[in-house]
Amino acid sequence: MNLSKVLININSLGDLEEYKKIGITNFLFALKDYSIGYQEFDLEDIPKDSYILINRVLDTKGIDGIKAIKDKLLEYKGIIFEDLGIYNIFKDSDIELIWAQAHFGTNTESINYWLSKCESALLSNEITKEEITDIVNNAIKPVVFNVLGKNMIMYSRRTLLTNFNKYNNLDEVNDVVLDETHTNNKFYAHETSNGTAVFNNEYFNYIDFSKSLDDSKIKYYLIYNLDLSIDEIKNIIDGQPFGNDGFLNKKTVYRMSEYTDR
Amino acid sequence: MVELLAPAGSLEKLKYAFLYGADACYLGYKNYSLRANAKNFSREELKEAVEYAHSLGKKIYVTCNIVFHNDDLEGLLEYLKYLESIHVDAILASDITVMRLMKENNIKVDLHVSTQASTLNYEVAKFYKEEFGATRVVLAREASKEDIERIYEETGMEIECFCHGAMCTSISGRCVLSNYCTNRDSNRGGCAQICRWVFDYYKNDNKITDTPFSMTPKDLNMVSLIQDMIKSHVFSFKIEGRMRSIYYVSTVILVYRRLMDRILDGTLTPEYAEYSLNILNRVANRESTPQFFDKLPGVNEQYYLGREELSNQDFLGLVLDYEDGVVTLEQRNNFKLGDTVQFFGPNMETTTWVVDNIIDEEGNNIDVARHPQMIIKMHIPFKVQKNDMMRIKMFDFSK
Repeated sequence: MNLSKVLININSLGDLEEYKKIGITNFLFALKDYSIGYQEFDLEDIPKDSYILINRVLDTKGIDGIKAIKDKLLEYKGIIFEDLGIYNIFKDSDIELIWAQAHFGTNTESINYWLSKCESALLSNEITKEEITDIVNNAIKPVVFNVLGKNMIMYSRRTLLTNFNKYNNLDEVNDVVLDETHTNNKFYAHETSNGTAVFNNEYFNYIDFSKSLDDSKIKYYLIYNLDLSIDEIKNIIDGQPFGNDGFLNKKTVYRMSEYTDR
Repeated sequence: MVELLAPAGSLEKLKYAFLYGADACYLGYKNYSLRANAKNFSREELKEAVEYAHSLGKKIYVTCNIVFHNDDLEGLLEYLKYLESIHVDAILASDITVMRLMKENNIKVDLHVSTQASTLNYEVAKFYKEEFGATRVVLAREASKEDIERIYEETGMEIECFCHGAMCTSISGRCVLSNYCTNRDSNRGGCAQICRWVFDYYKNDNKITDTPFSMTPKDLNMVSLIQDMIKSHVFSFKIEGRMRSIYYVSTVILVYRRLMDRILDGTLTPEYAEYSLNILNRVANRESTPQFFDKLPGVNEQYYLGREELSNQDFLGLVLDYEDGVVTLEQRNNFKLGDTVQFFGPNMETTTWVVDNIIDEEGNNIDVARHPQMIIKMHIPFKVQKNDMMRIKMFDFSK
């Protein structure tokens, strides 16, 4: 994998130099109060040559807040955004915008629409390798492809952990694992005052598959790191077996008839 | 002017929805719609639905709100053109590709932005209006009073909000739990409602409690805040439930119709609002409450263990005919002599009666109507109409 095209979210400012030592130089910082699920940073602590992650679905206060800091945000390399209000605010500025509407990057037409409007667009993690290849090959510009991470599979505005703890008179607890025993799925849940992000608790690893894609059609290989060390990430990039193959080889269905026909 | 918008999972449900007071119905074709496992409509039925609605001066909105994969796009443009040709009143979409196809092909049907697009702020609404000419936005269920008012002020778009029915735990469109647990794609209509399941609850490999974790929200019920929603410029009041029964849909629509009419003509009383609330709580068989409009929901807006979700057997019969003091009824649940029942319908005040006679199809007097969908007759001391309903008596209301 072309390390110069790896884009990784940062959990600690101290990690930057360590990443650079292994050849990773593109960094993503989740913006405090405007993101969900990842380690958040105050804007003033984020290096200007970085991308800002704004992945909350923004309400009125949220969008007003972004407009209030618009000029400061323009000093950064780019914004990866979930809420289309961000596009509307920044569409006439020079900052790089990367469309990353969760779960929506599932077809070539939508990806190409956003590529015509933005610097790049993020593919969904819930599509097959055939679908990914098809979209990448037919995209009008290089896309962002998430190659490693715990997939954020649900985002609730509710404080689900606080509510449950309160109902059951439990001590406050965050960063829990929810174990669904019938289907043997485990989910990691992290809560802030902005809501609850639920991740699949196992990392998916599309790095090996990504080598089959035309590198010139990829703007960034995105890594969302929740708790891996830099050494672990380096080893995974170098080919150490890790994680699962997500939906690469598993086509989802949506009608009961299809489900029973499987 | 406000609109009461009802779900229609089938042509039969659509007719009841209009009969019981809906101004418009939303429904889905067998493809491209998020209730993939509802009965849904064929193309011929879509056409029939539109013609029927328009003959009553009412409207049909067609959901085309899945998040498309490449394979799903086949036939989409031709389908959108078909919807235009049969004069549907609006298409609901969340995927930008549907909106783009409508715009580029000059499809002259109103575009409503689906709740799946998670709109909570005015900049998003402006985007859809300016880029695609959307006339209406169905706000995310998480929208607060402040969000609603600001979107209206900044855009002038029609605002559609859910006022009743089931809630997602997640922001709609932002959940793929179902994809993981069942391989069913929630954003293409396969949602298996995993957020209503229970989970073991761990921290650092230690089970925190033996009480299973749950995260299910109570249903939405905006009876107590409908007046405030109207003041906040909500135009369309949407009832959730394309897969619900005709009894549920008819009851809920009638309650909201009468409630909204009383608000608009200034005759709503606290007693009537409370009566409405009681009826709705009973018919839903789950607790319901306001959610995000006036606050951030907390522990009281969710269900935990110990809740009851019993099958509702209140619906006793559907009126097939009435003539000279005799009602002909199709039985829907068991009832017997001595039961106190209520007849209700779009053109009658709810009327209580104690069953004192039941006659079967052979003309025999019987004590119990126990066979599903059996046809019976009863002498009753008041008039009813075809398609009125009979339920077990729930609550009294006197003006």
